[in-house]
Amino acid sequence: MNLPDRTVLENGAILVSVALPSNPFIAFRGTVPAGVAAEGSEFGLAEFTSRLLLSGTRRMGAAKLADRLEGIGATLEFRNGDEVLSFQGRCTRETAAETVRILVDCLSEPAFPSKEVERIRAELQNDLRIEADDTHHRAVREVSRLVFPKDHPYGREPKGDPSRVQRVRRGDIVSFHEAHVGPEGLILAVTGDVDRALIDEGIATPLSRLRGDGGAEAIPPPRPHRPGSVRIPMPHKSQVDIVIGAPGVPRRHEDYYALNLANLLFGRIGLYGRLGRNLRDEQGLAYYAFSNLDARTAGGMWTISAGVNPSNLGKAIESIRAEMDRLRTEPFSLEEVRDGKENQTGSLVVSLERNAEVAGELHRMEYHGLGMDFLERYADIVGELTEERIRNLARRYFLPSASSIAVAGPIGRLRVPW
Amino acid sequence: MRKPLGEFPSPFASGNLISRARVPAPQMPTHVETLGNGLKVILRPIPDTKALSTWVVYRIGSRNEVPGMTGSTHWVEHMLFKGGGKLAKGDIDKLISRLGGKMNAFTDTDYTMYFETIPATALDTALMIESERMRNAAFDPKEVEAERTVVISEREGAENQPDFAVEEELWGLAFHVHPYHWTAIGYKQDLATLARDPLYRHYLRFYAPNNASLILVGGFDVAVAMQHIREAFGRLQPEAPPDPLRLAEPEQRGERRSDLERPGPADLLSVGWHIPGAAHEDTPALVLLSTVLGGWRGFVPFAAGDWRPRSNRLYRALVEAKLATDVGVRLESKLDPSLLIANATLAPGASLDRVEAVLDREIEKLKRAPPPKSELARAHQQVRAWARYEQDGVTFQGMLLSAGEGLGAWDFAEALLAKVEKVRPEQVRAAARRYLVEEHRTVVRFHAQEVPG
Repeated sequence: MNLPDRTVLENGAILVSVALPSNPFIAFRGTVPAGVAAEGSEFGLAEFTSRLLLSGTRRMGAAKLADRLEGIGATLEFRNGDEVLSFQGRCTRETAAETVRILVDCLSEPAFPSKEVERIRAELQNDLRIEADDTHHRAVREVSRLVFPKDHPYGREPKGDPSRVQRVRRGDIVSFHEAHVGPEGLILAVTGDVDRALIDEGIATPLSRLRGDGGAEAIPPPRPHRPGSVRIPMPHKSQVDIVIGAPGVPRRHEDYYALNLANLLFGRIGLYGRLGRNLRDEQGLAYYAFSNLDARTAGGMWTISAGVNPSNLGKAIESIRAEMDRLRTEPFSLEEVRDGKENQTGSLVVSLERNAEVAGELHRMEYHGLGMDFLERYADIVGELTEERIRNLARRYFLPSASSIAVAGPIGRLRVPW
Repeated sequence: MRKPLGEFPSPFASGNLISRARVPAPQMPTHVETLGNGLKVILRPIPDTKALSTWVVYRIGSRNEVPGMTGSTHWVEHMLFKGGGKLAKGDIDKLISRLGGKMNAFTDTDYTMYFETIPATALDTALMIESERMRNAAFDPKEVEAERTVVISEREGAENQPDFAVEEELWGLAFHVHPYHWTAIGYKQDLATLARDPLYRHYLRFYAPNNASLILVGGFDVAVAMQHIREAFGRLQPEAPPDPLRLAEPEQRGERRSDLERPGPADLLSVGWHIPGAAHEDTPALVLLSTVLGGWRGFVPFAAGDWRPRSNRLYRALVEAKLATDVGVRLESKLDPSLLIANATLAPGASLDRVEAVLDREIEKLKRAPPPKSELARAHQQVRAWARYEQDGVTFQGMLLSAGEGLGAWDFAEALLAKVEKVRPEQVRAAARRYLVEEHRTVVRFHAQEVPG
């Protein structure tokens, strides 16, 4: 594969692309720094805005916009995130220019029709209710709130709360959009059936017409985490969701790669690493029990998730704690570390088999400043990690005493032994 | 499913390198051959591709179960990751993990499929795993017992979602005789009591080369691959062919309805109409009918992700009108006559009666007049585009071929697409008149009660 191409357009937008000419369609993924972090104390505004970007522009109403996109067989979606507003889609070589023109229209000239604002308000209220009834979502949100306290953008509910959703006005949305959505800080990653001419004329040209303010402001580092424990009784459910979380590291932190490998061994590789082997394979306590390392610009979080029958809640939590303690008494073996490294380097071939995955990875390389040669260097980065460093970081970061816990489900008076 | 889909290895977490998987043009060369023991082999080589996806599809699903043993096919699927023959417990995980590969399995009503996507240089590893899995699974009694609670936990996780209750109720009500009456996960009572020996017999009966197809997509040479396949699978003995399923659902005479009153966040409506089996000549028109009504997300919906079609009649009539916050239409094409299902999540304050009335109105419109040419052209374009998008990479291509093979022909999707191209507006109206009739439908309404606590 050739190295990806990177172009900074005159309006400040950054376009990264790699041609996979044998793939007869195009996948793209992009972001602008207009996520939760940009909304300040106006909680829920970024989410509201993101959901309205397909609700019509100055040139086209929502229905016409949908007809145009689906009439050419293209897909386009906008999503709100903690740090960014993201957009992604698919189109063909023939429809790329039209799709990017529609994307630019949606980003630069959304109409925010009042009727649509009210529709989205009702949709958000419903989604908040649905999420409030979801055991895993509830537990994740509580742990995020504890790990990133004081309403940090990583810790709060991106949709805000029902009263906040009720209070948002169209004018707030227009102002937020004007202030934060523009070419400054925009990254668009494109892959598939593209070549230089198509990138220049079909994608860069319409993208360079994007005007507006925007640009990223630094996201403050999270305040210190004070571990806590939250019980969320939901007696009408069958299963209890357990989520345990602790601070991780930012993506560019020097500990990231070793910690990522430690997380792989602890709760991801194969059938969820050591954690899955214990809880699922040996004890049959859970269909899923895994860990996750989430590394963002200004901080990160490490979590464990498991779904168990309420009668197994205590046993499951004790087993999770035992696996964390085992990192001290029985550190990762040389064989485990070797398996993990082989997995990470082997997945160089497998995990980016799809256009959509390639677009996502290209975008991450640019967003986190990893360099366009990151994929070429990755095997060396992993190869140089020492066993001792991986073990030490697992011991340092995966600590029960430094972790918060939330359990949601039919817990009744069950004890949470944490 | 052995592992929740959300837990596929993430490229961000695990590393990466681009593997060039070509999306095949229609009729891309595909080698098909049947071994002496009955194993059908379907090979789609993609030159210059560094990855390889190996799939085995067995013609066994929950439709082959009997009352009292519901969920057994899915449980068997779980057991086939626990070793046997040359493979000790944990070996499959270890072998695939070291390669940086991904793997999973899916139990459907009509078929069960297993896959590994790995570097193309490791073909023999995948063939060895699948060959051992086909005849030599261990079914250690202790392991069977340990997996009981895992399978029950999978079901309990689904039970936490109100739409699972609606789905189970809909199929249970629409089918009284045919095993589509139950879902692939099975009933909890059966999962609590099923014993090891009947499970093992279920495995031995249906896991045989003459009841399976092996599919390879990616970077390999056909002649070399065939030689390795013969070495790995040629010695496996066939079983007597399974008896064809004789149960047929009697024609539904009269609408069936159910009102569920349970704690939940939003009212839900689900309506299912009986449709013919996938091979029926009306299926292409039903594809477009379902696209006009609720949009199209591909034959195998995994590739669509969160994408939400908005240029369709139900979205316009229900979501844009603020009566629902989400709608969806699924054409459940199966081996046997099945259902076309319309779902709606109601907006706050909207009534189930009103939403149902609007749905009825939209169905009546479809019966009254054929869709305008421009609308049908849009539907055609969506189906055409998704035929490309859902073949993004060797894994999805393998899945598409395997699901097609599970429905009777590996090129099912390609052949159907060609037929869809020829569907005219009048045929869509005719399909609506024939199938979307009140006396053949089942309606489930979920009345969300206040959530306790």
